[in-house]
Amino acid sequence: MKIMTCPFNGPRPVSEFFYWGEIRPMPDPATCSDESWADYIFNRNGAPGVKQEWWCHIASNTWFIAERNTEKDLVLRTYLFEEEL
Amino acid sequence: MRLPPVPGEWLDRSVDVSFSFEGKTYRGHAGDTISSALLAADAGILGRSFKYHRPRSVLSMANHDVNAVCQWGDRPNVRADVTRLQAGMDLAAVNTFGGLKSDKASVLGSLSRFLPVGFYYKSFHTKRLFPMWERLFRTLTGLGKVSFNTPHIRTAKRYGFCDVLVIGAGPSGLAAALAAAEQGAEVVVVDENARAGGSGGYVRGGFGPQAEQLADDPLTRVLAHPGVRLMTETYAAGYYADHWVALVGGDVLTKMRTKSVVVASGAYEQPAVFRNNDLPGIMLASAAQRLIYRYAVRPMQQAVVLTANQDGYRAALDLAAHGVEIVAVLDLRLSSTASEPELAVKARGIPVLPGHHIVEALPGANGKSVVGAIVAGRGKMRTLACDGILMSIGWAPAANLLYQAGTRMRYEQSLEQFVPDTLPPGVFACGRVNGVHTLSARRLDGQRAGSAAAAHAGFGDARVITVPAEMECPTHPWPIVAHPKGKNFVDFDEDLQLKDFENAVQEGFDNIELLKRFSTVGMGPSQGKHSNMNALRILARLTGREPQQVGTTTARPFFHPVPMSLLGGRGFSPERRTPLHARHEALGAQWMMASVWQRPEHYRLTDKDRQQCIREEAMAVRQNVGLIDVGTLGKLEVIGPQAAELLERVYISKYANLKVGMTRYAVMCDESGVVIDDGVVGRLAEDHFYFTTTTSGAATIYRELSRLNTMWRLDCGIVNHTGAFAAVNLAGPKSRALLSRLTSLDLSATAFPYLALREGVVAGIPARLMRVGFVGEWGYEIHVPANQGATLWDALMAAGKAFALRPFGVEAQRLLRLEKGHIIIGQDTDGLTNPFDVGLEWALKMDKPFFVGQRSLHVIGRQPRKQKLVGFVLDAQFNGSAPQECHLVIDCGEIAGRVTSIAWSPTLGCHIGLAFVRPELAETGTAIAIRLTDRSTVSATVARTPFYDPDNLKQKEPA
Amino acid sequence: MPWRLLRFATTKKHPEPRMFTEHAELKPSYDVVIIGGGGHGLAAAYYLGRDHGITNVAVLEKGYIGGGNTGRNTTIIRSNYLTPEGVKFYDESVNLWQDLSQEFDLNLFYANRGHFTLAHTDSALRTMRWRAEVNKHYGVDSEVVGPDFVKRAAPMINLSCGHAPILGALYHAPGSIARHDAVAWGYGRGADMRGAEIHQQTEVLGIDVRGGKVCGVQTSRGYIATDKVLCAVAGFTPRILDMVDIKTPITIHPLQAMVSEPLKPWLDPILVSGSLHIYVSQSARGELVMGASLDPYELHSTRSTLDFVEGLSAHMLDMFPFLSHVKVMRQWAGMADMTPDFAPIMGKTPIEGFYLDAGWGTWGFKATPVCGKTMAHTIATDTPHPLINGFSLDRFRNYSLTGEKGAASVGH
Repeated sequence: MKIMTCPFNGPRPVSEFFYWGEIRPMPDPATCSDESWADYIFNRNGAPGVKQEWWCHIASNTWFIAERNTEKDLVLRTYLFEEEL
Repeated sequence: MRLPPVPGEWLDRSVDVSFSFEGKTYRGHAGDTISSALLAADAGILGRSFKYHRPRSVLSMANHDVNAVCQWGDRPNVRADVTRLQAGMDLAAVNTFGGLKSDKASVLGSLSRFLPVGFYYKSFHTKRLFPMWERLFRTLTGLGKVSFNTPHIRTAKRYGFCDVLVIGAGPSGLAAALAAAEQGAEVVVVDENARAGGSGGYVRGGFGPQAEQLADDPLTRVLAHPGVRLMTETYAAGYYADHWVALVGGDVLTKMRTKSVVVASGAYEQPAVFRNNDLPGIMLASAAQRLIYRYAVRPMQQAVVLTANQDGYRAALDLAAHGVEIVAVLDLRLSSTASEPELAVKARGIPVLPGHHIVEALPGANGKSVVGAIVAGRGKMRTLACDGILMSIGWAPAANLLYQAGTRMRYEQSLEQFVPDTLPPGVFACGRVNGVHTLSARRLDGQRAGSAAAAHAGFGDARVITVPAEMECPTHPWPIVAHPKGKNFVDFDEDLQLKDFENAVQEGFDNIELLKRFSTVGMGPSQGKHSNMNALRILARLTGREPQQVGTTTARPFFHPVPMSLLGGRGFSPERRTPLHARHEALGAQWMMASVWQRPEHYRLTDKDRQQCIREEAMAVRQNVGLIDVGTLGKLEVIGPQAAELLERVYISKYANLKVGMTRYAVMCDESGVVIDDGVVGRLAEDHFYFTTTTSGAATIYRELSRLNTMWRLDCGIVNHTGAFAAVNLAGPKSRALLSRLTSLDLSATAFPYLALREGVVAGIPARLMRVGFVGEWGYEIHVPANQGATLWDALMAAGKAFALRPFGVEAQRLLRLEKGHIIIGQDTDGLTNPFDVGLEWALKMDKPFFVGQRSLHVIGRQPRKQKLVGFVLDAQFNGSAPQECHLVIDCGEIAGRVTSIAWSPTLGCHIGLAFVRPELAETGTAIAIRLTDRSTVSATVARTPFYDPDNLKQKEPA
Repeated sequence: MPWRLLRFATTKKHPEPRMFTEHAELKPSYDVVIIGGGGHGLAAAYYLGRDHGITNVAVLEKGYIGGGNTGRNTTIIRSNYLTPEGVKFYDESVNLWQDLSQEFDLNLFYANRGHFTLAHTDSALRTMRWRAEVNKHYGVDSEVVGPDFVKRAAPMINLSCGHAPILGALYHAPGSIARHDAVAWGYGRGADMRGAEIHQQTEVLGIDVRGGKVCGVQTSRGYIATDKVLCAVAGFTPRILDMVDIKTPITIHPLQAMVSEPLKPWLDPILVSGSLHIYVSQSARGELVMGASLDPYELHSTRSTLDFVEGLSAHMLDMFPFLSHVKVMRQWAGMADMTPDFAPIMGKTPIEGFYLDAGWGTWGFKATPVCGKTMAHTIATDTPHPLINGFSLDRFRNYSLTGEKGAASVGH
């Protein structure tokens, strides 16, 4: 089984984790157009590549960011949100 | 025939094992496999082929003899070549019609001209007749039979950890294991055979173990090394990400996590393709050697050896040393390097015919044996009499796990074999799978790989070891002979002949993957172990390409098939129970699953049916007082200066202005404005809220709120108390009187008004109480620490006796809330429902600065409504069969909505329900038509909700 | 034995011609270029020729035909969807399926076995009734049945299923399975016979868009001019759409499957259980073909996982305990292009001449015929076929999603 490294709990089997998806910066709801809001809500960057994703270690409820190559399933690094080194 | 004891044999001759095969009783020895015992007893053929039902026997003795597969009681598809003989086995060959000896389906062999590759695509497809043909095909295909009486076998799984996992305990694997262990790594070696040693044990060249082997037996040293664990009768079934390897052996699945892997899985000896190459008595040379040295079985009396490498000569010597007359050694090569074994063969006076091949093997009168071979070479044809033929023309790497690990392979011309080109990090290969065939070189290669694997795992440095190149090419590039009459088999699982490939390519299936899919080559139970390489060579030749250009098909798990009982393990279906579970059980609860929880649906009474019980429970709440376990609700707490801010952002209503000691209904939307959850938010202090979620939403809501809180960096923390608190709802006109007996809290309407939240002591237990009205009566939701839940329940039940308290279940609760017009998220909403659809505009505070879903709801709010959730009632006199949930509302012949909830209300004396309808049908008083399953319609009238106590008088102090 | 097989024995040479013509070169231009030689792309080429007389068509396939999800799915065909759009669309597909073998003169092993979606919870049973009612409204044969009915169709089933007793099922009599590869070959041969060119081992590297219009396609074997391009590439959709800068909600998740060793026939119907995450049928070869739910995270790869076979086997044994000794032979995976509402994305796009047949997630195989037919219509007339109006890319701009999620979450 794939190993994912929780920044708090270290390497654990990926079945202990919940995948949320790629980090998507929210546009300002007050100023953005309906169209760009819908784009934010529904559209995704579906192509493969290195992505910053939200993951959660379920047992400890630790949310963190994994930088992952989504074509090769390689986790390049994991870190706590906004604590990028 | 059984030989006298052979040094190193795996048999325990002191133990006789009696078994039966096809109704006849045989005896073998402990240590035999089914096949070896049957051959030792000269039992005749072992099985029938898949398509033509030709008689078959041993091919490999290496777990790919797919034509020697047995039904063993309720076990289908038991492989005779490797399955250990057990006393009392009652065996039969699979897929025969009328027994192995006189299989009626063998008539298919004579029809083979009509049944070329893919014949079934070309006919049998008239609409009328196809079902009949399909039944026939299904009867003919398939191997073993399942028995419906087989029990559910539950096996525990094991988890293993090591530094270096070596797959294969042959000469290279053992060397690798030793090398790695000597560098300090903790090593596990697995081998699918009953004993370690691999080909080192059975490729001997005629005499005892080879001299160099005796001098320095690596197995002894491996067994003696404390850093090595050897697991025999265990195969690596699959390689998965991050060096996670499935090991199957001893009726257990071991999931091995290793730091590096050495694949020393060897090679599959490959069959030659010539007419009748499938006759019993024709086998791979290594199969004959296994039979002799492992099971002391002489596989034949007079053998023709077809070879293209020194392994064949070695096999000839092995046979000759055990009383087999070698009629001739046919060497496909015109010239060879005159290896040691070849010289030894010649020295024994065995005829060697270079540049010769077998044109056809000759069947005996009954077709169940080989009696000779027509051979050709140097322009001449001749017939050799024999009762067995050994094929030793080359090898294909057992690279399945290497492929699964992501290894890029390349075709090495000098070896006529695919070898690893680029290995993934932490994966190493050695021995025959790596293109190294000479025994001494295999050991060196093993040392090299083992050392490198240990170094990768952090033990020592990788030693530089040079492995000498092979002196001869071990594999012939074209061991294939055409014959006008065919029956020259390439795939023994699927009965595919050479011409099947020619025909498939002619039809345009000229890509290796298309060829596989059209011809089914490699798709049988052996998964192409002896057929893929020849298929690839044939395709390359037919299309004028090199093997490298043709490429291989993808090797997927499993290496050998794995029983479902091992994969399934003990089975794990977790369910959650509230702290009151035993109390409900004692009260006769009828259980139901509510997401992962077991909840009482209702409480059974001996003399009453389900409906009666539910209605009585509901009426008890309306008239006296009822008690329901609501401990499955999500129970969360948010604490901190910005706790209110968090709730403001995640719920559609406002909470900043919620007074301490009060609660408010709470609805949550997702970013697209879809309603996803609801609950009640209570304020314990300025910076402290306690709130509930739906039962099924608890885990996900907690998780998502935590994420949002992480992202927003608010100054507050969230705690999930779902499992930590027990919770009950005490509801009914007498609830206050009951509760007052157990608490000193002031329960007056002024001190503890509707929607208030209080902390106090109930029955001696610290509790949080909320005055909520979900079921439409005066009531209290009481939350206490989980370990005191039962005490609270008992106290309430005891005190309740005086008030005719009844426990009630989920169904009564659904009915009561329906009377009150409350929606259930997930039942009265679906994956696209927004707050406007279900009349939640009153809760929707669009003037807040922000909440999740708000911006989308701005857009949705401007759009015309597509549907509206309304209440409806059936006529009080209605006595037909009532609509059910999800029956459709039909208007002018079109779907205009659906019923989401419906029940007969004992309080109102009629059927009441909620339904989505098109907006034009939503006006109170509108007649709507609901279509039932039998397509009849029932008329209903849109009605205002709540159906019961519309002015909420029940929550007010009686005047 | 059918007389047709006689010809195999009466001719010395194998009497079958090539199914697919070889084309050494790409032409400089085509009327329509179809990216993706799976079932959908080949079907579109077929119906462009058959229904619209458009034959100057190239199908470009990066690997080999039918090698993507066409050859990786579990071949279940049904039309018991939840939404009116879905039901009408898949019903037309089932209608087309029934005649396909004869139309192609190729046996697709289209076997009508009956399809059960098992309900283990009362909420699942409610959804079943919803689907049944919508199905019947559009003339599709579906009904909610009780556990006794399930037991009659599959007497060996363990109704208690471990901890999740079967409360009932949605029974869909037309549910069928087919030989998936043959579907691609049948459409391929039919398209080829009508003049379309199938180019395997031909990868699309770029799409030439000028002034909002498609002008051509850059391939690994050279440039071709065209003003109409259909993208029908399943798990590769986002990569192709990146070339033309079209954004969609599609994300890629692996969908895995496995087969057992061949067994004598014992299971006729197709069984699906949402709670147990199982779908299973027994193929004509006797193998149990089994699947479960999507992998939980995005991945553009067809790697297999052990936990998949472990979980699926455990649940299979809950339903069929007697399979304990049955062995799993092979596992594999496909890449599913998932949409948030579990409905496809079909039709025109903001780029003139660029048509999309995507978002097929885990439900694409059964739609092969109707996709080919409706996309051919859409391309030929530059007007979306009425059956695909509910599936336009626009719906994600208008918040008018198609609520198919309830029906498709594990129902394949």
